[in-house]
Order: sequence, then C-alpha cells, then structure tokens
Amino acid sequence: MRKASLRSSQMLLASALVFANMSSALLAESAPGVFRSEFLKGNLGWADVTAKARTEGNVNFYYWGGSDLINLWVDQVAVPELAAEGIKLNPVRITATKDTVDVVIAQLAAGRGEEQGSVDLVWVNGENFFSLQQQNALWGAFANRLPNSVNFEWDEADARSLLNLRDFGVATEFQEMPFSGEQYVCSVNRAYVSTDQTPATFAELKTYLEANPGKFTYVKPPHYLGNTFVQSVLYAHNPDGTGAEPYQKTFEDLGSAELARLIEPGFDYLKSIEPLLLGGPSGQTRYPESSGELDNMFLNSQVHFNCKFGVFANHTGLITGAYPEQAEEMIFPRGNMIKNKNYLAIPLNSPNPAAALVAINYFSSVDSQASRLKTAGMPVGLDVWRLNQSDKDLIEASAPPHYGITQQELDDNTAPDTNASLVDVIEATWLAVIERKEDKPIADIVAQVSGELNN
Amino acid sequence: MPKPYKAHTAITGPLARRQTLRDLAQVLPLFVVLFFLFGGAVVLAVLQSFGYAPWFGINEFPSTHYYERLWLSADFWLSLGYTLYYAIAATLIGLVISIPLSIALCARFKASRIFSALIRLPLMVPYSVGIALALVMLGNGGLLSRFSAFIGWIDDPAQFPLILRTHWGWGIIAVYVWKQVPFMTLALAAVLVRKGDDTHEAALVLGATSSQIFWRVTLPQIMPGIVSASLICFAFNIGAFEAPFILGGGYPDTLPVLAWRYFQDANYAFQLQGMAVVVSLALVSGLILSLYLLAYRRYERARGRV
Repeated sequence: MRKASLRSSQMLLASALVFANMSSALLAESAPGVFRSEFLKGNLGWADVTAKARTEGNVNFYYWGGSDLINLWVDQVAVPELAAEGIKLNPVRITATKDTVDVVIAQLAAGRGEEQGSVDLVWVNGENFFSLQQQNALWGAFANRLPNSVNFEWDEADARSLLNLRDFGVATEFQEMPFSGEQYVCSVNRAYVSTDQTPATFAELKTYLEANPGKFTYVKPPHYLGNTFVQSVLYAHNPDGTGAEPYQKTFEDLGSAELARLIEPGFDYLKSIEPLLLGGPSGQTRYPESSGELDNMFLNSQVHFNCKFGVFANHTGLITGAYPEQAEEMIFPRGNMIKNKNYLAIPLNSPNPAAALVAINYFSSVDSQASRLKTAGMPVGLDVWRLNQSDKDLIEASAPPHYGITQQELDDNTAPDTNASLVDVIEATWLAVIERKEDKPIADIVAQVSGELNN
Repeated sequence: MPKPYKAHTAITGPLARRQTLRDLAQVLPLFVVLFFLFGGAVVLAVLQSFGYAPWFGINEFPSTHYYERLWLSADFWLSLGYTLYYAIAATLIGLVISIPLSIALCARFKASRIFSALIRLPLMVPYSVGIALALVMLGNGGLLSRFSAFIGWIDDPAQFPLILRTHWGWGIIAVYVWKQVPFMTLALAAVLVRKGDDTHEAALVLGATSSQIFWRVTLPQIMPGIVSASLICFAFNIGAFEAPFILGGGYPDTLPVLAWRYFQDANYAFQLQGMAVVVSLALVSGLILSLYLLAYRRYERARGRV
C-alpha cells in the first residue's frame, strides 16, 4: 500500500517534471515570431541580435549567380568574414530571383510560417520586391535599425534618399536594405564605331543604324533589361518634355488614357527602329533573351553596342573577356541613363532571421562594400556623402576605372526608374505592339492590357 | 491509393495471400508517386487554370476566362501549330532514318560492333549538351560562322545564314533527331531480333524482291516497335522546353515556352494563364496519342493480330 502510494507519487513527480520540461521546450520552440516582434518593437539591442545569430549559426543567401566575379567575392571574402562573426553564409546561386520569390510564397501558402522557411536572405528589387510585399511575405522594417544603417540616407527631406526609400516607385518601408546602386550604361565597340559616330540620343542611334543596319538590339521585354531600355526611350520621347517625371506616378493616378498619350511617340520610335535592329534587314528582328546572350552578340561583333545595368560592366567585361577588346562606355541616352538600387530583403519565414540581420549589416559596411567594388566591380549601395573622409577615400580608391567617360558624366545623366505598376502595363504594351504587331490605336492596347492585368 | 486487400479472392491459402501482398508492396511506391505527386500536380494545375489560387490572393473558381482568352487568341493556335510541327517533323524524320538503321544493325557485317557502339553514343549525351553543340557549331556566333568570317567568305559572323532561331526550326528538329534516332533504332532492332530471320528467309525462298520483303514482311513485323518508339518520342517532343526556347525563332513560341513565359512573369496573375496553357497542351497531346493508339489498334485488328 505504502509502496504503491510512493510509486504513484514518484510517477506524479516524474510526469510533472516531464510536463515542465515539455512546456519550457515548447516555449523555446514557440519562439517563432517572438524574436521578430521583439526586434521590430525595438526591445532588442544589437548584442541580443548577434547573440541569437550565433546560436542560429547559418544564413541561406539566395542570389543571382550569373556573375563569376560576384560569386568569387562572396565565396572568398564574404563567407570567411562572416564566419569570423560566428555565422556560416550558405550562398545559393539562382538564375532568376522570381524562382526564390515563388519558393517563399509557396512555403507560406503551405503553412510554413515564421522561422519555418528555407530562405533567409534574398537579393531583390523592382517587381520581385513588389510581389513579396503584396503577398505579405516580408519580415519587417529593419533597414534603419542596423548599426550600419548610418551609411545610408533615410531623411525624406533629402531628395537623394528616394533611391533607398522607393524601389521602382514602391515604398520600401525599410523592409529591404540597399545592396548596390546601378546605372543603365551602354558600351560601344570602338573597332567599328568611332567617337564622332557614337550616338548620344535615340535620333542619332537611328541615324547610325540607317547607315549600319542590324548593329544594335536590346534584351527582349519583359526581361528587366529590356524594360529599362524601353523606359529610357519613353522618357526621351515624352511629348511634354518632362522626361521621367510622370512615370513616377502609379497607374491608377496616371490613368490609362494619359499613359497612352505619353508613351505613343516612344512606341512609334521603337516600331520605326525595329527593321534596323539585329536580324531586321533580313526580315526577322532578334531580341536576345538575357544579358549573357547580348554579351555574346557584342563579343562576336554581331552588334556594336551592349546596354545593361552595370556602372563597371565595361571593366568587368574586359577583365573576364566577355567584352571585345576595344569596348568603351558611352553616354547614351543623354540625360536618361536610368539609375536604381538593388536590395537585400528577409522573407517572413526566414529560419535564421537574426543571422540574416547580421549578414545584412556586414554587407552594408564600408569595408565590405569597398572590397566588393574593388574585386567584383559592383558599385556601392551606401550613400557616400554619409561617410567620413577616410571612408570616402577608401571607396574612391577601390573604384575600377571607366573607359572613355568619367564617373561625373554618368552622375550628370541619371534618370529614375519607372513605377512598378506602370512597368507591367508598358511591358504588356511592348508585347502587343512590337512582338504581336497588333494594329490598333495605342490607347486601345493600353486599355486592353491594363484590363487584363487587373483581373 | 491501392484498395485494401480483400479476403474474398479467387486464390486462397496463405501462400497466395502472401504473394498478393508482395505484389501490392511492389507496386505501392509507383502508386504513391503516380497518385500523389503526379495526380496532385495535375489536379492543382487544373484548379489553377480555372482560377483557383488563394495563396496569391486570387480565387475566381470556377472561371473559364483563362481558357477563353487563350483559345480565342490567334497566337495560341499559331503556337500550337509550331509545337505540333516540331514534334511531328522530328518524329517522322527520326523514324525514316531509324528503320533502315535498325535493319542494318541486325545484319552481321565487318564493322557491325563499332557501328552499333557509335549509334548509341548520342544516347549518353544529354539534350542540353546537344543544344549547346548546335549553338557552338551552327549559331551566328558559332564555329562555322566565325570560321567563314575568318577565311573571308563573309565580312562578319552576323552575315552567316540563319540556321537556328528561325521558325523552320532546323536546330530544334536536328537536336531531337540526333538524340532520338539511336533510341528508336535500338527499340526497332530489339523487335527485329526477336522476330528472327525465318519469315524473311521464307519470303526470299518464295521469290519476293527486297522491296516486297521490306513493305510486306519487315515493316508489319516491326510496327509495334515503330508505334511505341514514335509514341514516346512524340510525347517528349511536344512537351519539351529547352530546345525550342534556346534554338527556336522567338514569337510565336511553342506552347511549353509560352507557359514558361507566363510563369516567369513577376505578376502572379499570369501563373494561372500559364496553367491554362499547360492543361491545354496536355489535352492536345493526350488526344493525339489516344487517336494514334486507336488507329494502331484498328490496323492490328485488320491484320488479325489482336
């Protein structure tokens, strides 16, 4: 009897202990969301973040892996330097950021919520960021809360802060951190095109192509490089002469009829040069599918120009042999060389959010950006005027050379991106007018494609 | 899912029961893959094509407007035409080459072992490598064009005649044929070997000419091989993506490429349109394959073989 009661009390104790263990374990396990909400409320110091980051240990970094130089920099510089902070950076190289956005959204749809996903960090901008934001798949407003946030301009009173606060016209809301600032720059093959033949405006490009048919092409929209070329054409042909200005509004604010009026001269120009582009003289114009394909055409002298996002693309192209030996940069189109930034974002279901924050803080440091600029030719994303003199000098000393133009000329000819809601309509219009050759008034086409996009 | 084992079966006894259980266990993995992975994906694709995608915030189920928009556009029919053209042309050309090759493969001659080894070579090389080879050799930045420019036939590589990236699809068809001829040849040769030489010799003894032997004896004998080989190749060709994407002539694209473009768009609403393309493609392909099998069944019945 006594034995039995002893046994039962032992069992009770044991089960109570098990229960207590379980509940504390449950607390630790149910942490999903606790770190996030505490960090976003501002209750955690940076020391708390780094401590949690070290216990997480890993950060899965998904990024476009198409550049050997960037891949090398990540493997040889970023991985060891983050390892020194106790974090293992796992680079996952992808061909299209959209694929990673798909993964995140599919995981969330399948119920894999906070801290249960597989992507910690993604290199993103424009439409892909817009998709993540629309689907509520972002971790939260962190970009102004990291130690290295001081390297960026966040003050809205300063117009230069727009590149950090707006991504293709979409408010970033601190949900992504600038990674690099790029500009749409064209290179020219000096073996074929002399300096005085080099076009600086779209009219001059057409004149050149009339004399040398087939020697230019642009990446096919809806690839973002093609979209960017089309946007710069539209800015330059704005019937009001206001350039990029009206394209900062959303589609709803601008309206279908007004957009059609604005883009009509630009599309007339695109139609008029189509027979003069690569393959046009023989009746079938060819638009490459990717920047790699265009690089090859440029290298093979099938075309004499190569336009892409890359302030130092000419330099990296020359050192990797992807560009012909006499490639030089050019200022084209004058005053409308689109500049934007790309960013690092954390998905809502990042399994290692603290480690992701530490990694982003590392990528935002002056030293990291300077070494990346130097070895990978990737422009800095931080804002140089925020730095002290020695850091400014470091960045300047790390910058690769320009060929035929100066950084000042590039800075003098910038134009902003187009609002993401307009990009969709413009690319659909390009597909209808240029690819499908629909013979309808442009206002009808814009109305039709925007209607299709909105349902 | 397989149905649970029932006690009332014709075969009784523990041994037979164990055998049935073993059979079930053996097909179970296949069933799981077929029903959950494949079947699940098909159901999801059909649902999405009818407007069901709440995870993107889209739920208009059941809505047919993705199909309406697709089937009412001339583009879709052009794309379908190109898809069928590449698939059928490549399969037919492959057959025309493989039939004589398989007959040759069965005959014994001096270099027959080297010949049969050579013929298998493309089987080991993936499609993507074949595509890369075609680009490297035939493309406008390829070896042939650069060489022609180098020796002065043409002024620069861009002037080389366009072989790839036209709607004639020479590149696509060439890659399919190059890769599928060995497969078809081996399939046909296996049928031929099984049939043996007897009927062939009998026909010879009875005084048939060699063309009579081919049309009246050999061809009907290898018909099952022809049907199965061309069925597999056609089914692959109609759904293949890489070759038409890399070597094709651009707009209007084949249906798999069209679907990919929709999936690739940053706007998620297009994914549903892409699903409508995929489902339409599956319908067309299924229809053609079943008609083909039906016709073959009739042919066999007419010959009294089934």
